[in-house]
Amino acid sequence: MTLRLSAATYRYAGARRDALDSVDLEISTGSVLGVVGPNEAGKSTLCLVASGLAPVVVSGRLSGSVTIDGRETTDMRPHELAQRCGILFQDAQAQLSGTASTVFEEVAFGPRNLGLSLPAVIERVEACLGALGIASLADRDPARLSGGQAQLVALAAILALRPDFLILDEPTSQLDPQGTRLVGDALRRLVRESRTAILVVEHKTALLDRLADRVVVVDEGRIVREGPTADVLGDAALPGHGVEPPPRVRVQSALAAAGLGTAAETDRLMAELAT
Amino acid sequence: MIAVEIRGVAYSYPGGVRALDRVDLAIGPGEALAIIGQNGSGKSTLVRHLNGLLRPDEGQVLLDGSAVGRRHVAELARLVGLAFQDPDRQIFAGSVRREVAFGPRNLGLRGAELDGRVAEALEEVGLAGSAGENPYDLGYSRRKLLSIASVLAMRTPVVVLDEPTTGQDLRGVARVRAIVAARTAEGRTVITVSHDMRFVAETFGRVVVMRAGRIVLDGTPAEVFAEVNWPALADAYLEPPLAARVGARLRVGSTPTEASLVHALAARA
Amino acid sequence: MTGSSGTVPPDRGPDPSVANPEGSAAGLPAYVLRVPTGTYRSLNPFTKSVVALSSALVAFGVRGWTGPLSVLLLTAAIALVAGVSRSLRRFVLATIPIVVSILLINAFLYPGATDVLFRVGPFAATGTGVTVALQATLRVVAFALSVAVFSLTTATDDFLADLERRGTGRRLTFVVGSAIGMIPAMASRATEIVEAQRARGLDTEGSVRRRIRGIVPLAGPMVFGALSEVEERTVALEARGFSAPARRTVMRILPDSGAQRALRWLLGVGTIVVVGASIAGRFPLP
Repeated sequence: MTLRLSAATYRYAGARRDALDSVDLEISTGSVLGVVGPNEAGKSTLCLVASGLAPVVVSGRLSGSVTIDGRETTDMRPHELAQRCGILFQDAQAQLSGTASTVFEEVAFGPRNLGLSLPAVIERVEACLGALGIASLADRDPARLSGGQAQLVALAAILALRPDFLILDEPTSQLDPQGTRLVGDALRRLVRESRTAILVVEHKTALLDRLADRVVVVDEGRIVREGPTADVLGDAALPGHGVEPPPRVRVQSALAAAGLGTAAETDRLMAELAT
Repeated sequence: MIAVEIRGVAYSYPGGVRALDRVDLAIGPGEALAIIGQNGSGKSTLVRHLNGLLRPDEGQVLLDGSAVGRRHVAELARLVGLAFQDPDRQIFAGSVRREVAFGPRNLGLRGAELDGRVAEALEEVGLAGSAGENPYDLGYSRRKLLSIASVLAMRTPVVVLDEPTTGQDLRGVARVRAIVAARTAEGRTVITVSHDMRFVAETFGRVVVMRAGRIVLDGTPAEVFAEVNWPALADAYLEPPLAARVGARLRVGSTPTEASLVHALAARA
Repeated sequence: MTGSSGTVPPDRGPDPSVANPEGSAAGLPAYVLRVPTGTYRSLNPFTKSVVALSSALVAFGVRGWTGPLSVLLLTAAIALVAGVSRSLRRFVLATIPIVVSILLINAFLYPGATDVLFRVGPFAATGTGVTVALQATLRVVAFALSVAVFSLTTATDDFLADLERRGTGRRLTFVVGSAIGMIPAMASRATEIVEAQRARGLDTEGSVRRRIRGIVPLAGPMVFGALSEVEERTVALEARGFSAPARRTVMRILPDSGAQRALRWLLGVGTIVVVGASIAGRFPLP
């Protein structure tokens, strides 16, 4: 199954400029695509357009096409989109319903909206909590969780709709290192154990280094670079696009500049130090 | 310009949580200090004692040698400017310009002097071109820079930045670093609360590590991130920057930044 | 979705006190079912709301003493049985300002009354006025207490879950639930906003005038923040299938019984009869 953007151009209602300019992008089941770029480059817009929320919920004008498994997102209603493509934003608490007394009920919110049978709802909640390793949080109050925990609950709530595609817009941006590690580990596990295709926008390129198969660089609404993760994140032009290379790459350049050992040796050193 | 001293400060939140446990910290005029630690270690609580938002249960806070005492927060705001972690907690004006003018206006500035301050601050954070825009039309990272600008415009001798680099891209982080450098060049004291290890190691000359309401490490980045302190860091749920780990592995000493790593390697060669 | 780590907290067996055999048999944990316990508390939220509503209507709708007095007695009895009498004191105290003003205004300023009881300075307290005052006071207190008892014995999410089960649309339920949930969040947000403004030199300590000046810089972020959160939340809700056409799955079913249904009918019809009689001037009791 493939999510495809073809010459997708998007302008928000009332905006003076296009936020996305003729973007071609493709992501298939089982793969992870990283998206990097400076702020205000259109990465969040890309997320909204890819998920279909723009223009279906967030007003604006879309030209070109965005298809999920061949079907145009503009032909689908929000609840149909939600079951094909889930989206997670930066601010965990803002995405939670605010009306659930326990994490269990929060995750059940989506499946209940679809009118599934109660046993099916329960099954999905337990499966999603388990898949992210947060089953022990099931009886907790969602409003009282740490940032990282809340983000995982929000993620579980989205996975409960069983989307084939998952879009993550800077999921760890507002988290401390512990929260980042929690979410990063859960995502790695999710990738290992399911075939959900994932598109993840991140500033923390170290995270993408370990998660993504391919990376695209978005700048001024356009895709300016695309390729396998190691190639793109190792590209010397990356800082020029406002993107910080991962620590691994920076340290490797530092070592190379000091003439220290071969590329293979530094690779081994980096692998040793990788957590 | 002014020294900041925290003497034996203890503080517990109304619920009973002991957030600060007799903390002693002396910060010289013009120092650039980073306070790091996990959430709940007391770092945000500590900086709120500097401008009187919180008053210690025990101990004292001294600014420029005199105790903060019961002076109003508004008065202390002349000495200590605090940019909060969440910009949306303070942004209220309909335009970027008026938002930045709020602080200096409260301090009594008017007319051309006020306009000049506002323009300067906006220039420094890169928002000069958006002066007339509604703050909520800016993205999160630029709203964050806006909140920093609104504090810079107050020209306080002490500037406190709470998590200034969250959500920033490369250029944003570079801007924050430049802001810190410019302030210390002017002789102002800059204190940051941050969990961005790289930003801290590369920008600040002194790092203080907090854990459970106490200071557990205090020194230069090279000292704090040296291998001998890694157990203490791990205990505080922190990780040294990768450059430090590489330097230790290659036995070239404590190299908290990539620049120092390169330097140490070159020196060895 | 394969793989699992840890287990959902235990206690998934059927709970015999639950009239939701479907829910517990399917494996809903007890912390989700949250069946309320306690003599009055364990009644269905709808029953309790009918009690409160009837009490309120009788308190105001029946002329004379009997109406408000009987509501007051009933409410006190319920409070005792449910064990909330101590908390009720807070609500009684809250009615004092209104009560005092009602008493004073009616006792001293009742128009046209001439049966003076005593004087205080230039003001005369009349018998008619005092009677009206006392009755009005009784009504207000009876009303306030019956609402208070309802809120003290009924958890908001129980009430909403029951309403939803009975067919209230998902939107209304959500709006009410999130509005109520927003109250503590807004309170803490307000505190944080005031802090941020003070840190920029806004003086809120000292004179009343200064405190009042603080409101605009507070109102702004609260409103903008609330609006932008609403915007974000709308998008997030759509992303969770909120506007799906299907009937929303009922998850929590609060226990109900034939006896309670009969009681509700009785109360409803009884209230209409009594209030109707009073309006028609045929209410026999004082």
